[in-house]
Amino acid sequence: MKVAFYPGCTVQADQIGYEASVRNTMPKLGVELIDVEGASCCGYPPFSSVNEAAWYYSSARNMALAERMGLPILILCNGCHLSFTETKHFLANNPIIKAKIDEKLSIEGLTYVGDVELIHVFDLFHNKLGEEKIKQAVTKPLTGFKFGAHPGCHAIRPNKLIRPDDSENPIKLDELIQWLGAETMDYPGKIDCCGSSLAPASGKTVMEIAGDKLRMVKALGLDGLVTTCPFCFKVYDNRQRAIQSTVGASVEFPVFYYTQLLGLAMEVKPDFLGLDLNQSPVDSVLARIGGS
Amino acid sequence: MKPVLVVGGGIAGIQASLDLADRGIRVHLVEKSPSIGGVMAQLDKTFPTMDCSICILAPKMIECFRHPNITIHTQSELVSLEGTVGDFSVKVLQHPRSVDAQKCTGCGLCSERCPVKRPSVFQACLGQRKAIYLAFPQAVPLIATIDRDACLWFTQGICRTCETVCSANAVEYEQKENTIELNVSSIILATGFEQYNPKDIGEYGYGHYRNVLTALEFERLVCASGPTGGVLTRPSDGKVAHNIAFIQCVGSRTQTTGYPYCSASCCMYATKEAVLIKEHEPSSHVTIHYMDLRIFGKGFQEFVDRAQSNWGVRYVRGRPGEITEDPASKDLTIHYEDTEVGKVEKNTVELVILCTAAVPNSDNNKLGGILGVKLDEYGFFSTKDPISSPVETSRQGIYVCGSCHGPRDIPESVAEASATAAKAAEDEARLEVKG
Repeated sequence: MKVAFYPGCTVQADQIGYEASVRNTMPKLGVELIDVEGASCCGYPPFSSVNEAAWYYSSARNMALAERMGLPILILCNGCHLSFTETKHFLANNPIIKAKIDEKLSIEGLTYVGDVELIHVFDLFHNKLGEEKIKQAVTKPLTGFKFGAHPGCHAIRPNKLIRPDDSENPIKLDELIQWLGAETMDYPGKIDCCGSSLAPASGKTVMEIAGDKLRMVKALGLDGLVTTCPFCFKVYDNRQRAIQSTVGASVEFPVFYYTQLLGLAMEVKPDFLGLDLNQSPVDSVLARIGGS
Repeated sequence: MKPVLVVGGGIAGIQASLDLADRGIRVHLVEKSPSIGGVMAQLDKTFPTMDCSICILAPKMIECFRHPNITIHTQSELVSLEGTVGDFSVKVLQHPRSVDAQKCTGCGLCSERCPVKRPSVFQACLGQRKAIYLAFPQAVPLIATIDRDACLWFTQGICRTCETVCSANAVEYEQKENTIELNVSSIILATGFEQYNPKDIGEYGYGHYRNVLTALEFERLVCASGPTGGVLTRPSDGKVAHNIAFIQCVGSRTQTTGYPYCSASCCMYATKEAVLIKEHEPSSHVTIHYMDLRIFGKGFQEFVDRAQSNWGVRYVRGRPGEITEDPASKDLTIHYEDTEVGKVEKNTVELVILCTAAVPNSDNNKLGGILGVKLDEYGFFSTKDPISSPVETSRQGIYVCGSCHGPRDIPESVAEASATAAKAAEDEARLEVKG
């Protein structure tokens, strides 16, 4: 299966561990990643408070690039996926704005039709590859581990737009983890926001929200928190020290990208999965899995 | 004089039948389930008097059964209608009971010996019944019925235990569907309502969290004839629940998932159920999370006041946003804003009861088509004029009462039933004058 690969800014700028784990696992599952040449920012929805059309233009531009390649587009970030979905939905129902966007795109010789298929990471693993294929790829099952899944807001909300999973009872990420041989727990607050969108307004609030979840999963005795969203990961993994000093309690807890766990279960070397870039204490989990 | 057809054997249908029969008018009472009684038979107590529900209903059910002017057709449905007021021809399809109604004594030995178990609809699926069963202890008629989808004889061609143990020789596997034709002067619809399935409201976790129940399920749980004998054991671990919360307007009064209308009886039945919990165990904590208290009926305000002052039931204004479950204890935390003080709070309880919307019967569309009567935008039967003809449908000679034309409580359903009986009697009188 060939897909146009759109990692998004956050992944390419500071979540290169995620990118590494994707590039070193997906081809082994038969997914050929073809980079979208000339890709730009997804538009980032908060940008719409400054210039809404600019957001739609940025999103439409990236989708037009994928349409030119004639491939479905794989989007790593929950935020980018929602940004594209919203734009696609909006432009389909607003021909006047679409005409304006088309005009701007034509400067580069691009056309946006709106028929590009948007693939979320959940869609790819859960629907396109499926249980059998993933279980076959697992050579070292993560037996004995119990993880908490964090699907992230934009993967499940708003439920009026088609999202990859149910907004109140998402189970896809849990199942993906279970296919690797590990257990998951349906913990309270699983669908809570990581807080990252609040960062420009109130950093302290982000730390408090994220701290609540980390303390919860820690108290439940889970082995780690798993996500596929770079924004969520940035908060839960990269900001643990800041959270700790804000909430005044220990929140040290292993956090993984799903593709990192997938790689470990497929016996890909941790270095190739960017695990050395995880700032949360993942070493104990790695030691238990062994073979590194 | 021609008979009157009453469709639906709940409290409204029963009351309409009795009113007509007492005036000397013959009645055919058609009920789709194996027993008359309807939802009221499932309730533990009634508000605002806290009378035992079945104790009020059962004498009326028996009276229906014994009344010389009333013929009860259970497991039956209306399949066609022709004619006009004063001369309606209707066909009624009777599904086979597989038990001879004349011979069965209702002893229950067949159910005792039957090896097949199925969820009991009467017990709101919290308990089980057998493939051959009596709908409930006070069922009228008190005749066993075989669920052919569950019975081993009908599904696999084996067993026949019930036939062997029945000393009255009442089991008749070969019974067939039967259509009867009736000529009636008018028709009264009293087909009742259904409960909204709160599964669609994901944030409350019904169907996902085991200790989240609907009010009708709770009604069975708290009832002495219920699956636990009236002990409030919660489903997850069988522990007796002492800290319980109600959530109002689940699927009602919403513009998103559910229906925009008010379900009319929930504020009162939640209060009733809260008082029942307190009567069972006065030290219990009960919270009712409500939007508005709609307690306008006779004696209703006083009832709620008593619940607050005498029993200590806590009322919190605010629609909860979410319920979360503790993975270990299975206790539930309700997240809500107390809008009286403007604070976001949490309430951790052992059991949550969702007071779900009363929704149109799923058969209404079909029945409305057969009868040629209009439904409203939700699927309830609509009336000709809400003010001047509140019990008349769009077709002359067909009347509605009870919750088949919108959510209603018992007193209102009974009053309307009497009104439809009066209307049907008027049609009879007109017919007499014409000769």
